[in-house]
Amino acid sequence: MSWRNAIPSTGPAALGRFVAFPAWIRPAWRRHLLTGIVALAALLFPLYHNNDADIDSLANAYAFATLALGLNIVVGFAGLLDLGYAAFFAIGAYTYGILNSFQLQPAWSDAWLPLQTLGFVAKMAGESGGDVVHFTLSFWLALPLAAIIAAISGILFGAPTLRLRGDYLAIVTLGFGEIVPIVFRNASGLTNGAAGLNGIAAPSVFGHSFGVNATPYYYVAIALVALLVFISARLRDSRVGRAWMAIREDEIAAGAMGVNRTRYKLLAFAIGAAFAGMTGVFYVAKLQTATPDMFGFPVSVMILVMVVFGGIGSIWGVVVGAMFLQLLQSWWLQDLTSWLNAAGNAIGNAWLAHIDLVPSIELIFGIILVFMMLFRRQGLIPAYRAPAALTYEQQNATVQRNQGAIRLSGLGGTTPSGEIALAAKGVTVRFGGLVALNAVGIEVPQGGVVAVIGPNGSGKSTLFNVMTGLVPADSGSIRFHGEEILGLPDHAILTKGIARTFQNIRLFPNLSIMQNVLIGQHARLRTGAIAAVLHPPWSRREEIAARTWVTEILSIFGNRLVPRIDQAVNGLSYANRRRTEIARALASRPKLLLLDEPTAGMNPAETLELAEQIKGLKQLGLTILLIEHKLDVVTSLADTVYVLDHGEVIAKGRPEEVRRNEEVLRAYLGRNTQAAHAGGVAEAAHVA
Amino acid sequence: MTFSDLLLQQAINGLSLGAMYALLALGFTLVYGILELINFAHFNVFMIGSFIAMGTLQSFGLSGQDVILTGLPLVGVLVAAFAATMLGSGVLGMAIERLSLRPLRNVSGPAAMITTIGVSYILFNIVLLTLGADSKNFPNPLPPMRWHLGGAVVELRQLLIWAVAVVLMGGLWLFVQRSKLGKAMRATAQDPEAARMMGVEVDRVILTAFFLGSALAGAGGMIFGLYYNFTSFIIGFTAGLRAFTAAVLGGIGNVPGAMIGGILIGLIESYGGQFIAASWADVIIFSILVAVLVFRPSGLLGRLAPTKS
Amino acid sequence: MITRRAAAQLIASAAAVAAMGTAGAARAANQVLKVGVNLSLTGADAHSAKLILDGAQLAFDEANKSNAVPGYTFEVVSFDDATATAGQYDPVQAATNARKMVSDKQMIAAIGPQMSGSGKAMAPILSQGDLATITPASTNPDITDPKFAQQYRPAGKPIYFRTVTTDAFQGPNMANFLADKLHVKTVYILDDSGAYGVGMADAFQRQAEKDGIKVLGRDRLDPKAADYTAVLTKIKSLHPDALYYGGVGQAGVKLAKQAYDIIPNVIKAGGDGMDTPEMLTAAGFPAAEGWYVTIASPHLTDSTKAENFVKAFKAKFGEAPDDYAITAYDAGLVIINAVKRLVAEHKPVNHSTVREAIQNSQTPTIQGVVAFDQNGDIKDRTVSVFQIRKDPSKPLDDMEAQFHYVGVAPSA
Repeated sequence: MSWRNAIPSTGPAALGRFVAFPAWIRPAWRRHLLTGIVALAALLFPLYHNNDADIDSLANAYAFATLALGLNIVVGFAGLLDLGYAAFFAIGAYTYGILNSFQLQPAWSDAWLPLQTLGFVAKMAGESGGDVVHFTLSFWLALPLAAIIAAISGILFGAPTLRLRGDYLAIVTLGFGEIVPIVFRNASGLTNGAAGLNGIAAPSVFGHSFGVNATPYYYVAIALVALLVFISARLRDSRVGRAWMAIREDEIAAGAMGVNRTRYKLLAFAIGAAFAGMTGVFYVAKLQTATPDMFGFPVSVMILVMVVFGGIGSIWGVVVGAMFLQLLQSWWLQDLTSWLNAAGNAIGNAWLAHIDLVPSIELIFGIILVFMMLFRRQGLIPAYRAPAALTYEQQNATVQRNQGAIRLSGLGGTTPSGEIALAAKGVTVRFGGLVALNAVGIEVPQGGVVAVIGPNGSGKSTLFNVMTGLVPADSGSIRFHGEEILGLPDHAILTKGIARTFQNIRLFPNLSIMQNVLIGQHARLRTGAIAAVLHPPWSRREEIAARTWVTEILSIFGNRLVPRIDQAVNGLSYANRRRTEIARALASRPKLLLLDEPTAGMNPAETLELAEQIKGLKQLGLTILLIEHKLDVVTSLADTVYVLDHGEVIAKGRPEEVRRNEEVLRAYLGRNTQAAHAGGVAEAAHVA
Repeated sequence: MTFSDLLLQQAINGLSLGAMYALLALGFTLVYGILELINFAHFNVFMIGSFIAMGTLQSFGLSGQDVILTGLPLVGVLVAAFAATMLGSGVLGMAIERLSLRPLRNVSGPAAMITTIGVSYILFNIVLLTLGADSKNFPNPLPPMRWHLGGAVVELRQLLIWAVAVVLMGGLWLFVQRSKLGKAMRATAQDPEAARMMGVEVDRVILTAFFLGSALAGAGGMIFGLYYNFTSFIIGFTAGLRAFTAAVLGGIGNVPGAMIGGILIGLIESYGGQFIAASWADVIIFSILVAVLVFRPSGLLGRLAPTKS
Repeated sequence: MITRRAAAQLIASAAAVAAMGTAGAARAANQVLKVGVNLSLTGADAHSAKLILDGAQLAFDEANKSNAVPGYTFEVVSFDDATATAGQYDPVQAATNARKMVSDKQMIAAIGPQMSGSGKAMAPILSQGDLATITPASTNPDITDPKFAQQYRPAGKPIYFRTVTTDAFQGPNMANFLADKLHVKTVYILDDSGAYGVGMADAFQRQAEKDGIKVLGRDRLDPKAADYTAVLTKIKSLHPDALYYGGVGQAGVKLAKQAYDIIPNVIKAGGDGMDTPEMLTAAGFPAAEGWYVTIASPHLTDSTKAENFVKAFKAKFGEAPDDYAITAYDAGLVIINAVKRLVAEHKPVNHSTVREAIQNSQTPTIQGVVAFDQNGDIKDRTVSVFQIRKDPSKPLDDMEAQFHYVGVAPSA
């Protein structure tokens, strides 16, 4: 899915584009006004439209909106394709169905007394004499309980499968979605099997039962939608949401930026499942029965269709998408049929007079799906709207290169310069028969800049990958401030204070510069899912500080990035993407910065500018390990240079020494000559 | 029936089923190998294949189980029907690729997969709305010949399934390994960019993959009809899902893997029905799938093409 | 959206009036009574639903034509409880439909649903609205079981009537038939995963065990799957005397075909789900040969009524009716009869009076006189057994000719 631009479209503001507001209403207010009007219309609907069936249809549509919101967290935010989402819906439904019906009737004993006091069970006379237990869990308690049970199922199911690649995950979830209804069908003692549950009680408030009247269910459904929209929006705009989007955009970069992928994927699965679990409770409470047939593959697919139709990742989009498709089935298709029939009668066209569109509903869904994918992939209401384009002045502004010393709060080392920050010893990596690194040893002193050079394929990037936990080493040791980091997962290494950039830039392409750099701070922030939703003051302060820190870092690059802060990075120039990636790494407040060919692809002026900025970082006390081909850059920046060839360190020393080293010349030029001079190395290296 | 006869009989059942799954799985694997796309439309290309086959057989004057052919007429009718079915399904597959998937070629994310779900719904409902929901009596011209192997029985139609499956799979294998287009296909699967730079017409390769995969699915549909003597608009889903599972089990993108996966799923289904219960068949199949993926994520044989990053 | 929906209805009714034109003028004084028919008209069960709808439609068309209730015209309003979301019948949609019916004061009774799952969702709502429905097909006993009265008829009065017997009779009576008449000693039982099939097979199994038939095993078919050879091979190895299948034609037809190949000599029996033209059109001979099926009504000694029905049905809809088309037609007759009596007694025609009249029905129908007990179940619980035997002299797809009456199954 490609998003051209990267501003989350907040609230039904996106709807605003379909509504013409008078000019005197300020744009900022239109959004709130529209939300208010929509909410008011929804709240008053049962009062001005006194039709039980229509209220019921709308309540069902809300239920699907909540399901779509849940799936949106899994598919839209975290990018995990789930084709068996209805399984969690079923689990929630059966949780309430079993715990509030006559299905299970164990013999009564006093052990049940505490639960009876709480109102979870009641004593009743059994059919074959003797007292039995009647489960009477309240609807209101069942909502959170089912959410928890569904979330736990999500975690149990997800734990072994989430490390699978995307399409494998899709098929495994599909399988899970098939299995759950089969289990409910076959476990007839628990579920009454295919015949469906009997005797599920309607919810009640202060002793007043909802009964079969649709209106109270309607309001519960609205409340559920509002709650889940709120939770979704809070999560999306938080550290948690950013971590999900990072995973969706680029798993490797997400890990390198400190996101614990397994944990966040499981979290997405669990929260998505919890939404479905709650909806399941609502659904069976309204229906007062449940059969396994209600939760099959078509349901999972249809929820996915709703998400795609509304706009993957777009909160209001999926709500509108779900409601539109549900109401298309229950209202509009019939209306359309009667219009066409009436028109056919009026003009005497027999075919039109008898056409019935209702049986074609699935065909229509299929057509909608294909057309949306071909012509409007971002959905009805895209998750991202275009930020304001840069003004002519901004685009053509004189480049300010942030002359003078770089000042950044809280970056750099505190330990005295000269101590060894990173020490790699005997690091060996084999890929099958190929030895990528052979007993490589490197030391990076605190506050120093060390460069690694070498021909292509010499193992430089592999060395970085080993240091950041992307590639396991066969043997050796890497100590960071005395602590062994070999074997730690990538996100843990970032947390220790090692941040990196990638040779071929791995930004989160559809996210803005701001979001990219905020994700860089992931490991330094504390806001979890609960804090993201509840927004306690400390979390709010943390978020504000994080955003301030982003602008502070971006100011290193003068006015290169700041005006573009809300633009999606995939629209940036190559050099600006390099700069953003460095900013993202700096955002994690690293002690050691690994830069993999930071100036690759830059013109000489840009290269010079970046070299100066890196020098500025060094002056701040940041320790830097650098892979670089441009020897002039290396010479101007590095204190020490290591030369790698065929996975081995063939030389080490000050830049000038290395430039004269014979073995280095041989490695670069492929011939044994004493006549080759230093300039030759530089030239060759430049070409390489 | 002794226990060993029973085992043998279930093996015969499972192999017949597996041969059909394998033919279907090949289509998934060919497309996946090149495009990394789960093609849900494939489910219903299989279904439509069985209807094309039914129409062709009926055009030869066959209906129900009333007309039995032998000798040359039988071979002639079968070959003609297979040819027509495979051609028809293959063209359908190409049309799906050309019309609905090519515009999405360079779009990342689930767009293409979701499109195939949409196409699948369209195919399914076109058949449902035009031909009706009732099961159709599929013409069966095969003589009811059967042979006894101890207590187990092999029927002519089972031999036919195996023969057709072996011939088609062998043909496909040769094509992929030997022919120029087949090599181009493997090259594209490994690295489409590099293949394009080496002069491979990627569009043509992809169309070919869709044609071949869909033609095999069509053949699978015809085999389905001949074996079970019925067809219906609904047959695509379960068979397709199991076939896809087979492809993943064998190592998706891997042609021999699809064959082995298909046969394994067939055997699991028949032995599962014997020793556990048919009602748990899907549970067993998917549990095995999960176990394989967790412990051997690239499937039993692994991908032949290295995973793209 | 309200205005649009209202406008749609307005346009539709205006156009309908216009279309009726002069032809309708003669009957303009007639009051229209609506009968809601809730079925799974799309998706997997569409075909059988269509037959049921046609059966009901035929009853009301005939009544309108013969002016059976002077001053009143019946209008059939069909409701589809299948959704694309569920891919088949959807109890949630059935509940919505029930609300639509209840809120329509012109709607005096309903027919349906097909599926007990839908019935469970509809019953409480219909009860609150005091609107009677007569199901021609849903056979799960729970809904009319007094044990669950509080849930399925919270307003107290029975509103869920049936022109079919519940699973509680067909299965057990067939078990008795197998034990007494065919001297079956061992049986293997299959169902098709559906509520109807599972209920049927469960009831059969309980009675079979009471009758001393040894149940060698019980398994479940996936109706969407095609291959049942594994379970049939297993059955073959167990050498049962008989196979009992609870379920409908979708899996049944495939089962019949494969069972013929693998266990040709085992007695095969099923319920009214197998009393379907698909056994002749999709399974066909020789696969269908020898199957015993039951129907939940007496065999018609006066077959002219049935013959006329079949003839009229074929003429109007172009295909043969199945058993549920007959029970749907009968449900229509019951409703017409109820209204007729109300009108004759000069009582108002509304939800409550029609429900009351249906409760007291003594309507002659194709399957005999239909009357209901205090729970809404049909009083006549005769289960008739038929066997499919090829009669080459008659059309091979004619159920009347190829399903041969064997006798009444002994009741439990």
